[in-house]
Amino acid sequence: MSYALNEVEALAKRAVRGAGMSWGTAEEAAKATRWLCRNGIDGAGVLSALLDHNQGKAEQDLRPAETSGTWCAVDAAQLCALLAGAALSDGALKLKDASITMQRLSFPALLLPFMASAAAQLNCVLVLECDAGSASTDGNLLALSNDALLQATSVDVVIRIGDLTGNILSQVSRAKPAPEAWGTLNTYAHKTYAPATEASRLAGAGAGLSDND
Amino acid sequence: MGASVQNSIPRRDPALVMRLSRLGSMHQCRLSFMRVLTRRLANENWSFARPVFDVDAKGVGHAVYTATGPSRTYSLVAFAHDLPPEERSDRVIATAWDATFTLFDGVPTADDIERLSHNVPYQEAGRVNEKSLSVSRANRSVRLWEHMVDALAKGDQPDVDKVVSVGYLMRTTAVYGSGKLGAADHETIADRPEFDAPFQAEMLSVFLTRAFVRDMINHMARARGGAQAAELALDIAHGLGIGNSTGLGMAPFLINHPVLLNNWVAAREEAIARVRSLNTAQEAEANLFRSLFARAQVLVETWRSEHPVQIKKLVALKADLEKVEAFLGGDDLTANSPWDRLLNWTSAALSEEGQELIASLILEPYGELVDDLSPAMSDHRPDAFRILGTMSVKSTRNLMRAGYAQALETDWSAQENCARAWYVSEEKLEPRLGERFEEPIAEYEQPLSPGRDVALAFADLKTWDDDAPVSEFLLNHPEHRHSIRRVQINACAPYSEIQDNTICADMMPIDMLRYKLATFGATHFDPRSDRWLRICMFGNAPYPEELTPENADLWVYPDAEGNS
Repeated sequence: MSYALNEVEALAKRAVRGAGMSWGTAEEAAKATRWLCRNGIDGAGVLSALLDHNQGKAEQDLRPAETSGTWCAVDAAQLCALLAGAALSDGALKLKDASITMQRLSFPALLLPFMASAAAQLNCVLVLECDAGSASTDGNLLALSNDALLQATSVDVVIRIGDLTGNILSQVSRAKPAPEAWGTLNTYAHKTYAPATEASRLAGAGAGLSDND
Repeated sequence: MGASVQNSIPRRDPALVMRLSRLGSMHQCRLSFMRVLTRRLANENWSFARPVFDVDAKGVGHAVYTATGPSRTYSLVAFAHDLPPEERSDRVIATAWDATFTLFDGVPTADDIERLSHNVPYQEAGRVNEKSLSVSRANRSVRLWEHMVDALAKGDQPDVDKVVSVGYLMRTTAVYGSGKLGAADHETIADRPEFDAPFQAEMLSVFLTRAFVRDMINHMARARGGAQAAELALDIAHGLGIGNSTGLGMAPFLINHPVLLNNWVAAREEAIARVRSLNTAQEAEANLFRSLFARAQVLVETWRSEHPVQIKKLVALKADLEKVEAFLGGDDLTANSPWDRLLNWTSAALSEEGQELIASLILEPYGELVDDLSPAMSDHRPDAFRILGTMSVKSTRNLMRAGYAQALETDWSAQENCARAWYVSEEKLEPRLGERFEEPIAEYEQPLSPGRDVALAFADLKTWDDDAPVSEFLLNHPEHRHSIRRVQINACAPYSEIQDNTICADMMPIDMLRYKLATFGATHFDPRSDRWLRICMFGNAPYPEELTPENADLWVYPDAEGNS
């Protein structure tokens, strides 16, 4: 089944919030997932795997401990691509002077939309390199050396200014997420919904005068 | 906003405009989305047809209505149902309706209709694809529908007073667009000129729905009365709009789309500033204003509400209009910045309902000056989402003080100031508003209180160095990320925030709904509680086949007899 990209964005936002992350991170994740889907990648699949992987950990344990020098999480834990990505977009200017190295980055595919945001701010092409391959983006298009990067779960990466090289992905207007991943995101999203009670059913949406006249 | 004219009078202060009580007193204007639509359809000479009307004597079947413009055709595919009365509900939690619709991109094939017939009637429980631009449903007004079928079947016309007191035969209970239920994303159609302004596909679907409803009442009367049945008289048909029941879902929309909210308000404020800046007015312009003022009075006379708050506002509005009438008796409105003088006078003399009605009305003689603002009401700035991490903590604090003064002065520890929480219910994902201290909902709270959240971020920023980049703060405080984003958006979109408490004990969600619906072009706001209301859309408008450049714009104002 195909989904509108708005549907992907809306579900991703709820899922990330349901997984316990903050609203701002959820907003970033939603846009990032949409960006991956627009570039033909199953963003929902990557996001659901990342949320499973992050389970039980707080944002403070998943974020870069600092953004000077090499980026890594506290206690050498795995670095979350969403939190590292948001920090990368926020600090895009740093890439003008030097490359950025991130250690033990989980699900690097989810870093790519944030790299695109940084590239758009710098008006240049940014390249991500790791053992699994390389990716480059000018802020809009995405090029990959191979698909292995999309499956990578934990890698050290270097991000630097460079050229668009590799296979440029075609952009699409619909998402075709794997059903299991979509189901996983729905399960997380469900945690943001308050169980209905008869009282809330009436009062919460505002019962008033009859609506059948 | 595009190239702006150099105005001698500035736009009004967001701190004045963005209060809930004023947003909840807004009226339609030239830039309202329904009027933008009918102007375009007429000016581009769109043609309309009804290639299919396959409905049986019980009122079950389907119909197709097409609208063809310079380069494309759109089709309203309507499914008519025989709904048992006990299943009729306007609530989002309903599962069946009197009629269901989709606006189809192009002309549907028989296969398309077959596929849609297995999905559109089920609404949220069905799926559509990118060929659908909207999905909607409508229920009959029970009190008017039966009266009308009965009268027409006997060869009589319906009682006009009854028609006026309701104003519509069917009311939509949701019009979904932009990717909902699998429909096309807005961005895939945003480059088409006919969708320059916001919500044009949804408005087109409602405009065509009105023609379907008129055809249905005639069809049902014929089915019952046979040869003796009368056709609904044109002047009565004109008075019928499409009703709409709107609940809480619209309120989060305004808060979740700060750039759109800004662009809607800013376009109207820019239009008002342009007209106020005119040193003189032509006699014809002043006369048009006077005649439309008289017609607006008729419109207000037919506005009914049973809600105590709205009843009070209507009494004040009617008194306002009498004061305006007296003012107009002593001023020819042609010299000494007439529109600025008028608005300055209203701000001291009238209620907010009256002030905003007149502010909308002064735009009417000046289509050439203001109509070009409607495309700017769309969101053309997806990059506004991106946070500028290099902004200093000091600048961030200053933006907070400038744009969120009301929120920073609020005592958020006082229960009455945070008595409510917005949440999404498990069943049908309906947005709801609950009592934070009485129900177990706080942990499910949606981020729909920007003022409180910015105040929390402001408090945590206190210990940070002025010169530190806000990116460092966000690295340590991801929980404030959504607030910092809003503060930065507000810096370049000054009308992006409602400058009021959206979770306090006495907040009225209908104020937010009213603003959105007025921007659509709705009239006859009738709150049914503090959190849902009914309105009328396209009342007095010409039907599609009657549309001409002459009648495409001012239809919203009835003439002295109540006709368009």
